[in-house]
Amino acid sequence: MLALLKRYRELLLLLVLLVFSLVTYFAHAKRPSEPSRFDKLILTVTGPIEKSIGWTITGVLRTWQGYVGLRHSHQRAMDLNRQVIDLQVQQQELLQLKEENGRLRQLLGFTESAPERRYLGARVIGVRLDPKGLQILTLDHGSADGVAKMMPVVVAQGVVGRIQNVMPGISEILLLIDRNSSVATRVERSRARANVRGLNRPDVCALDYALRSEDMIEGDLLVTSGTDGIFPRGLPVGKVTNVKRNGRGLYQAADVVPVVDVTRLEEVLIITSAIAPPGASPPSAQNQRQEAVK
Amino acid sequence: MKLKAILIVVFALVLIGIQNGLLRFLGGGVFSLSLAIPCIVFLGLEDGSIESAVTSAGVGYLLDVFAGGPKGLMTFLAVALFLMMRLVGAAIDVRGRTSFAVLSGVGTFLFGLGALLFLRVVSPPELAPGYRLLPRLFLDGLLTGMVAPVIGLVMRWIDGLFKREEPGLLS
Repeated sequence: MLALLKRYRELLLLLVLLVFSLVTYFAHAKRPSEPSRFDKLILTVTGPIEKSIGWTITGVLRTWQGYVGLRHSHQRAMDLNRQVIDLQVQQQELLQLKEENGRLRQLLGFTESAPERRYLGARVIGVRLDPKGLQILTLDHGSADGVAKMMPVVVAQGVVGRIQNVMPGISEILLLIDRNSSVATRVERSRARANVRGLNRPDVCALDYALRSEDMIEGDLLVTSGTDGIFPRGLPVGKVTNVKRNGRGLYQAADVVPVVDVTRLEEVLIITSAIAPPGASPPSAQNQRQEAVK
Repeated sequence: MKLKAILIVVFALVLIGIQNGLLRFLGGGVFSLSLAIPCIVFLGLEDGSIESAVTSAGVGYLLDVFAGGPKGLMTFLAVALFLMMRLVGAAIDVRGRTSFAVLSGVGTFLFGLGALLFLRVVSPPELAPGYRLLPRLFLDGLLTGMVAPVIGLVMRWIDGLFKREEPGLLS
């Protein structure tokens, strides 16, 4: 018997295991028991494993999602950056248009203030303010557009200069500040006469032929007198400053600050209705002097 | 040998923990895994000793604890699976990872099927699990079979820790 048991020891043990577990199952099947302390211990032991698995997977998922999200964020940031640049360019264009609109409105207001004159709007396409040479702006309108020599060029603020050279598609303005330019003016307040001559400096001109006896003070506005045959009367030219009256001599000296900053011009108006006769030369300093003396 | 049994049971415990952790994120209840069952399959195929039978019962006990149902069913099924695999191992020479994977998959399916049948026996008809669970059991077996080779590798490593080198003829 013992030998038989020894021989089938394994099989018997297997049978015992099977029967015992099966009996246990059927014994507990109808009345399930509560987990024992040992069971709870086993369940507790796996807790950290499950947590670590959860952390690992969550970490991997978060990293992955974060990575993917970052990639999308990067793409989105690139798109937004591109949009910002586009919008900045558009904004800049709109600002320029707004400023241009303002300037054109001023010009329009200026033209409406003197409806008897005919104007031709032109855009400045070139600037030559070399102190060694002529002070010239190039316009995008020329003889083909009806521009002729000696035509006065103005903006809403006042006198810019006169047309010096005309080509079919472009023309050149000799600016008020050029040393070859001389404009017959009057003091708006006192109607005193004088000439404004350029000094090749954009910020200041000289006042010529202002008689000592004339009423002229600092800050007086000089407007065109209309006697030079080029500029219509009443256009602002500059403001008198730095008036000097010497003890002797016929004239008083002063500086004139031009009302138009020629360095910032973009659009101008050419007065086409006061066309000078062909071949007419600009009033020379000698002529101007004679006129002033008269 | 006791240490080996404890190590295998602990390994099974770790596998169950991993399984529970994984299934929290994967599957979402559509499928399940039974990572401890390949351990029993390995014990039946590779060892077949009485200690392995006890170890299988230990793994079955763990499954019982985690199943939450009446105690004894998983233990019984684990020992039965061990026995079956031992018979299979005696009948055919099972080598290679593919064979182990297939047997693990089949064993998992049969384990689940057995549990289903026994639960139907003891449960009231309205609470008894239906045969609609069979596809899930099949999927369970399939997926477990797919990961079984990895478990088999670890089991082989544990087994190798406790194997004594046979003295060679020349030694």
